[in-house]
Amino acid sequence: MNEKQTNKRLNSDLESSNRSNNSNINRSDSSNRNRTNSSNNNTYNKSGSRQESILQAQNLRKRYRGFELSVPSLELPRGFAAALIGENGAGKTTLLNLLAGIRLDYKGEITYFDRQKKGIDGSVQERIGYTGPGSYFLPQWTIRQVEEISELLFANFHRDRFRALCDELGIGTDSRGGMGGFGYATKEVKKLSDGNRMKLMLAAVLARDTELLLLDEPASPLDPLMRDKLCDMIREYLEQGDGERSVFFSTHNIADMESVTDYCLIMEHGCIVEEGFVEDLKEKYILVKGEATDAQRAGEILFSMNRSAYGFEGICLAGNLEKLVGMDVAFETPSLSQICVAVMKANTGMKV
Amino acid sequence: MKGGVALKLLQNSGVPIYQQIAEQLKTDILAGKLKEGEYLPSIRGLAKDLKISVITTMKAYELLEAEGLVTAAQGKGFYVNAQDSEMLKEQHLRRVEEALQEAIQAAQIAGMTDEELQGTLQALLSMKDS
Repeated sequence: MNEKQTNKRLNSDLESSNRSNNSNINRSDSSNRNRTNSSNNNTYNKSGSRQESILQAQNLRKRYRGFELSVPSLELPRGFAAALIGENGAGKTTLLNLLAGIRLDYKGEITYFDRQKKGIDGSVQERIGYTGPGSYFLPQWTIRQVEEISELLFANFHRDRFRALCDELGIGTDSRGGMGGFGYATKEVKKLSDGNRMKLMLAAVLARDTELLLLDEPASPLDPLMRDKLCDMIREYLEQGDGERSVFFSTHNIADMESVTDYCLIMEHGCIVEEGFVEDLKEKYILVKGEATDAQRAGEILFSMNRSAYGFEGICLAGNLEKLVGMDVAFETPSLSQICVAVMKANTGMKV
Repeated sequence: MKGGVALKLLQNSGVPIYQQIAEQLKTDILAGKLKEGEYLPSIRGLAKDLKISVITTMKAYELLEAEGLVTAAQGKGFYVNAQDSEMLKEQHLRRVEEALQEAIQAAQIAGMTDEELQGTLQALLSMKDS
């Protein structure tokens, strides 16, 4: 029932944005939309496992010059991998920084795990693993020092697991692939490539017993092979947690991460404009393809579309499908990337 | 994988992955390869093995649950229900009919007469016996 309301709203927003070229209107609309969306979380029922959350936030606000993050309500599902998707500058890093406790100068409340107490502290941080775009290891540290310091900082750090991960990911190994104590003891963080630095952070985080991973753009510096490996590692992390471990990562390479994304949050201009379990979104949005002669009429109904001389392709809200009656169209289940692009296009101030 | 279950998933077949999983497991359940009381692989374990998202395997299992083929046990996963032998037979009969229907259509396209089609079936049956 909530979904229907949201559909209507999304649609009327789209109409208003079609009529007007003023991007400011889009912006104020998206913050309204946000409010209706948060109730979407509970569309799933049965076995109960989809409803529990690992992290909740209310009325999160963070203002910079010319930017405002505004998230009235956020709930990350327990036992799943959730992806935060959005354009550059949409506020993904800001949101992750607030959740990871890197920035504490925000308004609103964040509740971690099942705790009564709000906010972050040492005992919460012990249960969370974070990696970000920068490196939080000092440039002159060797991999061994990273290990020693991690061990000092976290009670749940496992040295042998860290070494096994470094070995598995090929960090600090020489060109012959052997660890041999050589690269491990002497290789400095500053000598590592961006990709290897990300791998080192992942190894340090996965060497700990945690319940929640907050990963800011983990895939960006990685090559295709390593991205695939990252997806495997996330799935393995979730499997070992047996429903008690969750992952929240941001990405703009949604196609690379689609096979590991259970829940998806799309962010624009500091607001979450759409969210839901991927399988639900794939039922909410339908990919439609049709002929050029129908493009004009379809354009008024579709959520977003591309036209060419040969025809059109667009995303239609499932609730609006019946309005396409009489047109010669074909339907397909969209990929998550296609959904994200459509939602982002409908919300962005940019003319794409 | 557990219980000798084999899953073959096609990424670009147009059939959603969760449906492919559900259909293949259903076939195994109805064929008795997965027996009553046996647990399906854990949703997160299956997701890991198949390199797909957890929500996709979960949706497949929920589909099987909705059809009454499996039951979710709180915190323990999904186990196979007792299959009604009448229903099982019914299912098999339907599949035989579907397959024969398909054969009839193909025969029509090929311009075979009914006698020729029956002859082919007879020949195949006798080949199986020998």
